[in-house]
Amino acid sequence: MWRMLWRDKPATVAALVLTLLVLVAVFGPMLIGDEANAQDLTRASRAPLEVDGWLYVLGTDQLGRSVLARLVVAARTTLSVAVPAVLISLVVGSLIGMWAGYHRGWRETVAMRVADVILSFPSLLMAVVVLYVFSPSARNIVLVLALTRIPIYLRTARAESAELASRLFVDAARTFGAKSSAIILRHVFPIVLPTLLTVATLEFCFVMLAESSLSFLGIGIQPPDVSWGLMVSQGRTYLQTAWWLSFFPGLAIVVATVSATVLAAWARLATDPGQRWRLTLPRRQRRRAVPAPMEEVR
Amino acid sequence: MLTFLRKRATTSLLPLVAVLLGVFLLARMTGDPAALYLPENATEAQKETFRTANGLDLPVWQQLLDYLGGVVRLDFGTSLRTGEPAAEMALRAFPATLQLALTTMVLAVVISIVIGSYAAYRPNSLADRLASFMSMTAASVPDFWLAITGVWIFAVMLGVLPTSGVDASMLSWVLPIATLLFRPAGVLTQVVRGAMVSALSAPYVRLARSKGADSRRVVTDHALRNAAAPALTVAGDLAVGLVNGAVVVESIFGWPGIGKLMIDSILQRDFAVLQAAVLLTAVTIFVLNVVIDLCYALLDARVRDKALV
Amino acid sequence: MFSRTQSRTSRGVAVGAAVVSLSLTVSACSVANSDSAGTTAGGDVVRIVLPQEPPTLEPCDANLTSTGVVVRSNITEPLVERDPTSGELEPLLATEWEQTEPDTWTFTLREGVTFSDGTPFDAEAAAHSIDRAVNGTFGCNVEGYVFGDTELEVDAVDATHLTVTTPEPDPILPLRLSFIEIVPASASGTEKVREPVGTGPYKIEEWQAGTKLTLAANESYWGDAPAFPTAEYQWREEGTVRAAMITNGEADVATGLAPEDGLGDAGVDYPNNETTAVRATGTYAPLDDIRVRHAINYAIDRGSIVDSLFDGYAEVASQLVPDGVVGHNPDLEPWPYDPEKARSLIAEAEADGVPTDTEIRLISRTGLFPKVEETVEVVQKALEDVGLNVSIEMLDTAGSVQYQSRPYPEDTGPYLMLVQHGNQAGDAAFSVDQYMLSDGAQSTFGTDEFDAQIEAAGKEQDEGRQQAYADVFADEPDTIGQFAYIAHMTGILGLSEQVSYEPNSATGDEMRLAEMTPAG
Repeated sequence: MWRMLWRDKPATVAALVLTLLVLVAVFGPMLIGDEANAQDLTRASRAPLEVDGWLYVLGTDQLGRSVLARLVVAARTTLSVAVPAVLISLVVGSLIGMWAGYHRGWRETVAMRVADVILSFPSLLMAVVVLYVFSPSARNIVLVLALTRIPIYLRTARAESAELASRLFVDAARTFGAKSSAIILRHVFPIVLPTLLTVATLEFCFVMLAESSLSFLGIGIQPPDVSWGLMVSQGRTYLQTAWWLSFFPGLAIVVATVSATVLAAWARLATDPGQRWRLTLPRRQRRRAVPAPMEEVR
Repeated sequence: MLTFLRKRATTSLLPLVAVLLGVFLLARMTGDPAALYLPENATEAQKETFRTANGLDLPVWQQLLDYLGGVVRLDFGTSLRTGEPAAEMALRAFPATLQLALTTMVLAVVISIVIGSYAAYRPNSLADRLASFMSMTAASVPDFWLAITGVWIFAVMLGVLPTSGVDASMLSWVLPIATLLFRPAGVLTQVVRGAMVSALSAPYVRLARSKGADSRRVVTDHALRNAAAPALTVAGDLAVGLVNGAVVVESIFGWPGIGKLMIDSILQRDFAVLQAAVLLTAVTIFVLNVVIDLCYALLDARVRDKALV
Repeated sequence: MFSRTQSRTSRGVAVGAAVVSLSLTVSACSVANSDSAGTTAGGDVVRIVLPQEPPTLEPCDANLTSTGVVVRSNITEPLVERDPTSGELEPLLATEWEQTEPDTWTFTLREGVTFSDGTPFDAEAAAHSIDRAVNGTFGCNVEGYVFGDTELEVDAVDATHLTVTTPEPDPILPLRLSFIEIVPASASGTEKVREPVGTGPYKIEEWQAGTKLTLAANESYWGDAPAFPTAEYQWREEGTVRAAMITNGEADVATGLAPEDGLGDAGVDYPNNETTAVRATGTYAPLDDIRVRHAINYAIDRGSIVDSLFDGYAEVASQLVPDGVVGHNPDLEPWPYDPEKARSLIAEAEADGVPTDTEIRLISRTGLFPKVEETVEVVQKALEDVGLNVSIEMLDTAGSVQYQSRPYPEDTGPYLMLVQHGNQAGDAAFSVDQYMLSDGAQSTFGTDEFDAQIEAAGKEQDEGRQQAYADVFADEPDTIGQFAYIAHMTGILGLSEQVSYEPNSATGDEMRLAEMTPAG
């Protein structure tokens, strides 16, 4: 597995970036201490490298705080909103989806109509209204983002499992008297998983952007807490005078999501029994190998 | 076909009522509009008069019944802010958003098919990796940041585009559409590429190739059709998601669309307008989903036919 | 009155000259801007971009900034108006006024004035306007703002004479009436009007809701015709976009800009009469202890906020009203910045059993002024540094108004509110009655003694009035200490090269199109 990862250079880089990101999010705030909130209006909005000291290599923000320190602290907030939101909607959505798709009939109809209800209410507006009613705390943001994204997984999982339910091997398992929950977990889930993971990485990106849009509308993460989305939003008014305020957090979002997407693409191949062999080939051979692959095993 | 539509319409009615219920109750929880519409030191009696005049003094369930009764008669209430019928305001704002969204989606589909299949045909080439990287980046940039950067570069620095607003010239469309386009185009390109790579390696495509079909026809006839199904699902979700983008983009560019109307009516606690606007978008999204399902069914049938041959 | 007409005439001549020279500049500019779509600036249209669409154009809501900036002195006019620079009352639709009884004022109205719909202006119309705004039941905003619960008795004596009687003698009634915009007798007395008719230099041509509001010169206007026959209003939420519209030649006037919006020389700054302050809810511990409230005052570094956050576009405040308002006390010094002192005051309070670690909410409204988010963060950090436990809550208008004015929600716990107060009237009574009386609409507590002092000041006139209110401002910090004043604010206006206009302290509330002329 590790060797397989090592052969795919972009995936390796992506994995390293994500590992670094997680390490920063977990340990960074401890190292940074209070720096992220240390205001000093006398050195406000200084460009990168203008103030001495490693803390200020990315400049200072409109209140004289180190942009680097804030990025580090924001990494934790951002991940602790995005990751739980994605996981909750992934787990809930795919379980319901597989269950609905496997059983078909009324269960499917009910699940799909519920999904329709959530989907037809624009998710950003739903978040806005809900966060007006309840306070915009990190927990509420996670919950409302998770709720609005459940239908995405639900529909994907349902479509795939409905298709699988008619396949021979599922039929076989059924005739042998296996319980439906066991069939779903043992036979349906592994095949649906790669697709769901791909969706989840795209959603990871979506959730970070949604959190940022919420900040733009004034009901995202509330100061003195800070997230990347909030930093981009706060920095947008200074675009012409201090581009680094919104550029670096924006870059952080892009780097995180691109890495996640690259890694997910790799993981999709690695977990797909029919495609895994490709990763064992050196890159140059792989290009030629794709148009005419060997017989697929299903 | 007709039975499908009829069944779909009847099963869809219930969710629509659920959406309406949801927005009605949520809106009522955001606070009392009397504080917003009356002077700061209005007396309790004045507030009472205001609430009575606008039916806000009744218990919520009774307000709901009154409202639903109105909806059946196609009366969606009047705006607290302007005194106009809420439905009229929503319908007036709707085309502006629809135009934006439709143009964006058509462009996104075209761009993603062209770039996605080009990249998939040469997997792991430089062009493929570049396309993948660009599309991932495009999909992960916050839209409001894009919008403001776009205004700065193209209107302020280069002076080639108007900053905002809607007018007769198509130039004012460029920045809002470009802003909205980034995410759907980026996501769809990845989806099309992924689906095409799988499709191109599927047995029947290899069969077609071994039969001597030329490669361009293989891409267009076989692979693309197979790639269409997953792309369609994602495209549908993205189209729905455009309403979110519209909230942000319309606010920045002063575009008088339904996204702006909804966010304004939340801020103004203008419940009737919010309800009418949400209902209108919900109906649109339903129609969209039905269309997608129909396409799906059509596509499925064709794919099966081909596969059987 | 005469000086007013004269100034208009002389300006009219200047305009003629300006138009000639402008036509040359415009032809040059329009080439450069040929790509930017929309109406090109000519000598006949002035294009204005506001932060938000007016929620209503109802004249009796014109004390709301977003409504008044369009309506006041453009579409409708009051009987008298206050000159924002000199502070004196000037005649407008009334030519003379005098206090004929202790509780009655008599106004002599201008003759030969007609509304833009053709109906003549007379005492009937004036009486109806005042009556519907002040005694009406449909919730006019101006009523609460200038009259409180006072009921007025308004009589049209004859076509050109009007008497207004108050329950108690009111020395500043004419000033109060300067907030009442005059509408024809046909204007509804039971509900708000969407497109008002007035006597002003402009009338509403078309209101495309959500997109654009167009005003056209009112041909039957009694004064000189304005320089621009047409005015177009648009609205954009983002300051950077409004600034960009000026740079890109899409708008001529942009309001509500911040220093970092990047306008450079096209930005004109002016004191806008607004004062920012932190108001403490003195009814909950620990904010009910004056040492804690004083500690808050010591903790805030106003100088840095003004210099660095507002880029110097503001002035450190020592009281609720800026210079130029009757009652402003020029001898007051700003509160010194002394975090050490703040810490020791809090320690002292804590030693006496005051729960200084209770969480205090710092509430404000998004978009209250440019950089409000940053200001709130600075204040929060400053208070935390001296040992208070403060959390930030940014709310929208509907969410914040309940915390801002009476009746306050119950059991809120201690909270601080970052408020911005604009005294548009030029008399301290309008600020003090609301913010300092113990039951004032925007005040949270007070004492009977101090209330008596305020009420006594309100009965004074001229010099005595100035002195009495100056004393109120001097005494408030030590006896009550409800506020920590931060800054007297400065507005920034964007102006294109096509238009010349000189903003004054009232511009934010009332932007007179008639004062805009094509630039030479």
